[in-house]
Amino acid sequence: MSDKLVSLSEAIDLVKDGDLLGIGGMSLYRRPMVLTREIIRKGVKNLGILTFIAGLPTDLLIGARCASRIRSCYVGFEMFGLAPNYRRFSENGELEIIEETEVTIVLGLKATLLQVPHLPTRGIRCTDVMKVRSDLKEYTCPLSGEKLVALPPIKPDVSIIHVAMADRMGNAHIDGAVWLDEDLAKASGKVIISAEKIVETEEIIRAPGRANIPHFMVDAVVRTPYGAHPTSCYPFYTYDINHIRKYLEVARNENSFSEYLNTYVYEPGTHEEYLDRVGASTLSKILL
Amino acid sequence: MYSEDFTTDEMVVVCMAREIKDYDVMAQGIATPLVTNAYLLAKKTHAPNCTPMFHMGNTYVLETRPVSLLYFEKYVCTWAIRFQHSGEVTMEHLPSGRVTIEYFRPAQIDAYGNFNNTCIGDWHSPKVRLPGAAGIPEVSITYKKILLYVPRHNKRTFVPKIDFVSGVGFLDGKTTREELGFPGKGPYHIITDLAVLGFDDDTKRMKVISLHPGVTPEEIQEKTGFELIIPEDVPETEPPTKEQIRIIREEIDPLGIRRLEFLPADERDALLDKIIENELPKP
Repeated sequence: MSDKLVSLSEAIDLVKDGDLLGIGGMSLYRRPMVLTREIIRKGVKNLGILTFIAGLPTDLLIGARCASRIRSCYVGFEMFGLAPNYRRFSENGELEIIEETEVTIVLGLKATLLQVPHLPTRGIRCTDVMKVRSDLKEYTCPLSGEKLVALPPIKPDVSIIHVAMADRMGNAHIDGAVWLDEDLAKASGKVIISAEKIVETEEIIRAPGRANIPHFMVDAVVRTPYGAHPTSCYPFYTYDINHIRKYLEVARNENSFSEYLNTYVYEPGTHEEYLDRVGASTLSKILL
Repeated sequence: MYSEDFTTDEMVVVCMAREIKDYDVMAQGIATPLVTNAYLLAKKTHAPNCTPMFHMGNTYVLETRPVSLLYFEKYVCTWAIRFQHSGEVTMEHLPSGRVTIEYFRPAQIDAYGNFNNTCIGDWHSPKVRLPGAAGIPEVSITYKKILLYVPRHNKRTFVPKIDFVSGVGFLDGKTTREELGFPGKGPYHIITDLAVLGFDDDTKRMKVISLHPGVTPEEIQEKTGFELIIPEDVPETEPPTKEQIRIIREEIDPLGIRRLEFLPADERDALLDKIIENELPKP
């Protein structure tokens, strides 16, 4: 089995202009932030984003003009507010939005795995999603005669997923909620894992059968302690609420947003320098 | 013993909790501390065998712990019975009816209970792009029972025509859900800060079931963008009991996180400051 542990830069070389990028985690939780920042540093262009409940990585990639297409069913910051760049770009008509729902994403990925042209749902009929998605088609079931909606496959070119621990081969263990990450990994052309800790395989099988993503699905592994900051990574740390609130304030305005990008994305040459900027006292406060 | 000292947010939590029956399995959406309050209150009082399924982690959780802004993930992950995949929830437990209810908070709703969580204005060039409808376009069709809640009852939410149909209620009131082959029965009740609302059996138009103490028929009609059915003998909503209020304040949500759903932006920021200061570890 091959060793897939690589540098951050080598890992992100797998992300190409125009790719449909799957992003693991959900909302404010266990998001692959180090990988996201590296994509911005490398200046990847015209990405599509596929994610279930989108938050900070999506908003950053839009604001940094790396992403121009969004496939998601929710983009926001929970109680803290709407996603500022997503709002600004979509309301200015600078963003292509493919209106997804939970089932269009879940069954779209499943259709890719099954290699079928569509999977059906009873839902969505009579909603306006049908009006803004010409690729969804209502049809009559040939077996029962019922009206159903055909959902097309979705295939991410590459997905970025943050986990609690992985071994060098890419056996990845998510400690806590899994959300859509296993399905994303299964359906994606390539998978990049960032992990809080790189461990021996013995440690992965200490909890037998609990590797969420097995090695053969994974193309690259990067070691990134605090790699989900400022989002959370259970069981290590919660989200950095002060950072998130500050982000929401500065991202409302193009100038202050580009200052944020300079401070936290472009200027720190390495993840360690990023962590230095965040500061030890903040990192200690968010520990669970 | 009824409480004589309760706030609107507590009234809403109590009304929402009352809708939950013992043995219900309840799903929860993103950013809905009122729903967490209601589920925990139901579980601690009249529905001890109900099972909340929190959006955070898609986990079934039987332990009841106080609502938290910063440590909710820790609570639902540490006490999780199972971490379900999003696909497991979306493809299995929601459409099969194993999850019995969910609360949704519409950005706009019309007289027939159709609702919008997608955008304000035209979808192609929206005035406001809202976070999105998540699973609403499918579960509004498949759920046996849909419950809705609106923390601030006003004409911005209760509108004659919604800008985007994210969730299907009773359509135009004439076409029936049965005719369309929808498995679910549609929206059941709407809890607001003014009243409990439902739908007329025949016309499927929104009607007032009960008005909260102190609210008049004129006031609720004034704050609704379409004509409500208000029965002449409309009852007053049963007030919370002293014990319900004590449990909310002392056991479920001592920091008042539920109020974040009620406040306008500037006041919400001040409350957030207070909650965060309380929750973050002290040096």
